[in-house]
Amino acid sequence: MANIEIDAPGTSQLFIGNEAIARGALEAGIGFAAAYPGTPSSEILGSLAQIAKKMNIYAEWSINEKVAMEAAAGASYAGIRSLAAMKQNGINVVSDFLANLVMSGTGKGGLVLVSCDDPSAISSSNEQDTRPIAKWLDIPLVEPGDFQEAKDMTKWLFDLAEELGTLCMLRSVTRIAHARGNVKLGELPNKQQKAYFEQIHDLKNVMPTRYIPIPSPVRHLFLHAKMDKALEKFESSLFNRYIGPDRADLLIITCGSCWLYSQDAIEALKLRDRVGILKLGTLWPLPEKFVMEHLNKSDKVLFVEEIDPFLERSVMELGGSFPPKAIRPTFYGKRSGHINAYGELNPDMVIKAVSTILGLTYKARDADYGKKAEAVAKSNVPERSMTFCAGCPHRATFWSIKNALKLDGHDGVVTGDIGCYSMALGPAGFFQVRTMHCMGAGVGVANGLGKLGQFGFNQPVLAVVGDSTFYHATIPALINGIYNQSNFILIILDNSATAMTGFQPHPGTGMTAMGEPTKVISMEALCRSLGARVEVCDPFDLNNTTAILLEMMAEGGGAKVAIMRRQCELVRAKKEKPPYKVRVDAERCIGEACGCDRLCTRIFLCPGLIWDKKTGKSKVDEVICNGCGVCVDVCPQGAIIKEAA
Amino acid sequence: MAAESKGCKGLFDEVIDAGLCTLCGACTGRCPYLAYYQGRIALLDNCTRIDEAQCYDYCPRTHIDMNAISQKIFGVQYSDGEIGNTKEVLIARSTDANITEKAQYGGVVTTLLSLALDEGFIEGAILTKTSDGKTPSPFLAQAVNDILQCAGSSYMACPVLERYNQIPEDNSDKLGIVAMPCQVLAVAKMKANPPANRASIDNIRLVIGLFCTWALSPQNFYQFLKENLDLSEVKKFDIPPPPANRFDIFTASSKTSFPLEKIRKFTMPTCAYCLDMTSEFADISVGSVEDIEGWNTVIVRTKIGAELMEMAKKKGKLQIDKLPSASLAHLKEASLLKKKRALNEIIKRSGDRNNLIYVGLSTKLAEKILE
Ligand SMILES: Cc1cc2nc3c(=O)[nH]c(=O)nc-3n(C[C@H](O)[C@H](O)[C@H](O)COP(=O)(O)OP(=O)(O)OC[C@H]3O[C@@H](n4cnc5c(N)ncnc54)[C@H](O)[C@@H]3O)c2cc1C
Ligand code: SF4
Ligand code: SF4
Repeated sequence: MANIEIDAPGTSQLFIGNEAIARGALEAGIGFAAAYPGTPSSEILGSLAQIAKKMNIYAEWSINEKVAMEAAAGASYAGIRSLAAMKQNGINVVSDFLANLVMSGTGKGGLVLVSCDDPSAISSSNEQDTRPIAKWLDIPLVEPGDFQEAKDMTKWLFDLAEELGTLCMLRSVTRIAHARGNVKLGELPNKQQKAYFEQIHDLKNVMPTRYIPIPSPVRHLFLHAKMDKALEKFESSLFNRYIGPDRADLLIITCGSCWLYSQDAIEALKLRDRVGILKLGTLWPLPEKFVMEHLNKSDKVLFVEEIDPFLERSVMELGGSFPPKAIRPTFYGKRSGHINAYGELNPDMVIKAVSTILGLTYKARDADYGKKAEAVAKSNVPERSMTFCAGCPHRATFWSIKNALKLDGHDGVVTGDIGCYSMALGPAGFFQVRTMHCMGAGVGVANGLGKLGQFGFNQPVLAVVGDSTFYHATIPALINGIYNQSNFILIILDNSATAMTGFQPHPGTGMTAMGEPTKVISMEALCRSLGARVEVCDPFDLNNTTAILLEMMAEGGGAKVAIMRRQCELVRAKKEKPPYKVRVDAERCIGEACGCDRLCTRIFLCPGLIWDKKTGKSKVDEVICNGCGVCVDVCPQGAIIKEAA
Repeated sequence: MAAESKGCKGLFDEVIDAGLCTLCGACTGRCPYLAYYQGRIALLDNCTRIDEAQCYDYCPRTHIDMNAISQKIFGVQYSDGEIGNTKEVLIARSTDANITEKAQYGGVVTTLLSLALDEGFIEGAILTKTSDGKTPSPFLAQAVNDILQCAGSSYMACPVLERYNQIPEDNSDKLGIVAMPCQVLAVAKMKANPPANRASIDNIRLVIGLFCTWALSPQNFYQFLKENLDLSEVKKFDIPPPPANRFDIFTASSKTSFPLEKIRKFTMPTCAYCLDMTSEFADISVGSVEDIEGWNTVIVRTKIGAELMEMAKKKGKLQIDKLPSASLAHLKEASLLKKKRALNEIIKRSGDRNNLIYVGLSTKLAEKILE
């Protein structure tokens, strides 16, 4: 990670977008930052946490996004500038709080929410544009178009948030968050912050007048006034600008990373003098006057934005304010089908849209360029399917889950959740997982399934969650299940890490974001205190794990918890040598013959095992094998041998 | 083997899902895709060997060429007698009080196994051990005391052959096995066409077959027992020979009896399609004797069987006598009746007198049985 705290105003540093946002917050004098990890947002808090002690700020990985946002609001009430960061799903988790917060207002320290969207859902369960929430919450929304803006906007947004006393939101996307670019640094503030929650103290007992959302109609009125003020500022914001000819054949309206794609496209098409680009940085409230002025520039307007037609619809809503005789431009974008309303965009897509609208025959690339490029890229990396690492405890757990369900024979159902283990939908988890939604949802769904006995339902229900997810979103659902005697087994895949997002600590790890040791919140003690039967298994002990699951399924009678405890292999492998040296005894391996049908390389599919077509035997890929030795117990022929390494 | 193999898909279609599985265990224990669990054969994952699969081949409910197997075991065509190929039919009982105290009847099975082990004729025996919870499971006995532990009958089917399949391929210990008629049939199929990638089937030197009219389903019957009895107190189960018509359950101090009618609904459906009452392909077959309590009926079928009986007699391990001729007639009658009933059921199921499903019998012999 870059040194985001470097005190060298005027110099340029190479930052990824998330670091630029963190730097912007530092320059704004932030005192408090909270987040729950989630790609592509994680490095914002990650980089702040690293320098928190040094810079005398506070940073925490909160249990979930809602708590992160609430904690940040609390800090703002005591006059500390604060920030909460999350990925798109976090916005959903926190939305109830937000809808109240906009009524109650923020404190003297400005409060900024950073939402990082993941177009194409590269590291997400869903694809979602979070910009519309700014519209329905009535909060100012900005989106940086490059790395410099990511920093500058963040800083500026704190001032705005403080001035207006309302939450302000910055939206970013993967290609800004994770790409790297030059950022020219500004000054770091040098003032000691003092936190104090001011209260009205007089002898009459009075209701507080701040930090509560009531009386709502009045507060709502105030909120609109704040938005009017924001609009005024947005109309003249330098984050909005136009490049291009005075009269253009086509006007592109864009924001965020699409600003870069649009510039690339126009450059490639050599259309600088025919196509203009209106780049918006302040998206909501829409700077209407500014936009109207530029709509005159062309009678064709193309909207280029990533995921939903947010600008497109907002601008079209301006239709009513067109002067009576004005010629309305033709609008192109997602509604017309020129730009996808799903997935990431790229310069090629913009080139295609512009060429179609202007009737150009420019071909961005050969028809099969994509295929060729893919082939070249593939030739440099070994082909690998999406799977768990060699030695990953999840593979072992799902092996036991699969076998236990098949042995039990009552067509048990596994409800899934969000984490590395979402891969268990596919071959990595032997296709065992049947449902997947947001964090914690699997346990909620299991609650419902587990109560259907009166309708003749007798399928066992297993809900699988990771350890971080357990703390994040599962506990109320577990309590619900225990209290209402729903019949399911909560399986916690406790690998002691938030592995999918980069090993951030969580309440089970005993370490804070700032690297300080703290109390471990024991999940088994917690679950036992709720009255649930709790079993702790070593997933590498396949027989015992399978037996325990079978026994718990047979027992029935209310919610139970099975904790599969094994450290994440990535964490273990960093600290220790492999426990075993594993090899296949070619004499014993019967490969495809009856009695095996190459179970290890066809079904178990640890990437550490490879099938040698020539010899008709399996073998161990020594580079990839992590020496866990689980396959030794999978091989029906005893052909896989482990020796202490 | 004459019939084509159809993989575990065929096994499920024709046997397991068709309700014909005997739970013999011939298909489990070595195959990673098939597993026995609590009275069921479970499919753990998809095996792609549809054209060549030992699970299908050795299953006693897939095609059996009776003549070919008889040739392999006895060197002659399949017998048209009611109780199969025999050298001698006797009655016997153990002279060892320790054995008779624990054994089901005369303790012939336990005595012969112990002798074979003592004499180094076998080094282990694959038996059925009843747990404290009264569920039977396969067990490899390697000492006389282990054999004694297994004395007494559990009337629930037990996947005995699974234990053979689990023996490492390079193990060459000589073994005995005590098996039900369906299991003896599976062993005979293996002897006729030795399995690959398992310990050699020729290691099984001694096959002691039990008499069997039917076995009970571990799923349903166990449930019934649990609901009606404190299983930890149970010492012995017994189905005394006709005309008793009872199922007796003994504890240390008491006896509970159920009329057989009440029990019969828990029998394995596959038993209705089984032609063999006396384990016709065993070396020695052992059952009860009507009217003579504490003794066994013993059918000696092979040379090895005869040698072992001879040795037991010489060493005074067994007291041996003649089977009264009326009893022999009854035995034959009962055995023939089982064949008849089964063939009728099979024909009822297949809907075709020429389609005997899994039974590879000559039409002539089938017609003779059905007469
Ligand atoms: C399911 C079943 C049905 C039977 N039906 C009849 C019948 O209809 N008529 C008849 O005459 N005899 C029947 N028998 C046989 C009878 O119960 C005695 O096992 C037999 O007479 C031998 O007596 P023993 O005193 O020599 O046995 P023991 O010396 O007590 O030895 C009994 C042996 O039986 C084996 N065994 C116990 N339970 C099982 C099982 N579930 N599956 C396989 N092996 C087992 C043990 O390994 C043990 O070695 C049946 C046995 C079983 C298990
Ligand atoms: S599971 Fe064992 S026998 Fe089968 S292919 Fe792998 S190493 Fe060979
Ligand atoms: S009868 Fe035996 S071999 Fe056939 S399916 Fe049942 S357990 Fe397997």
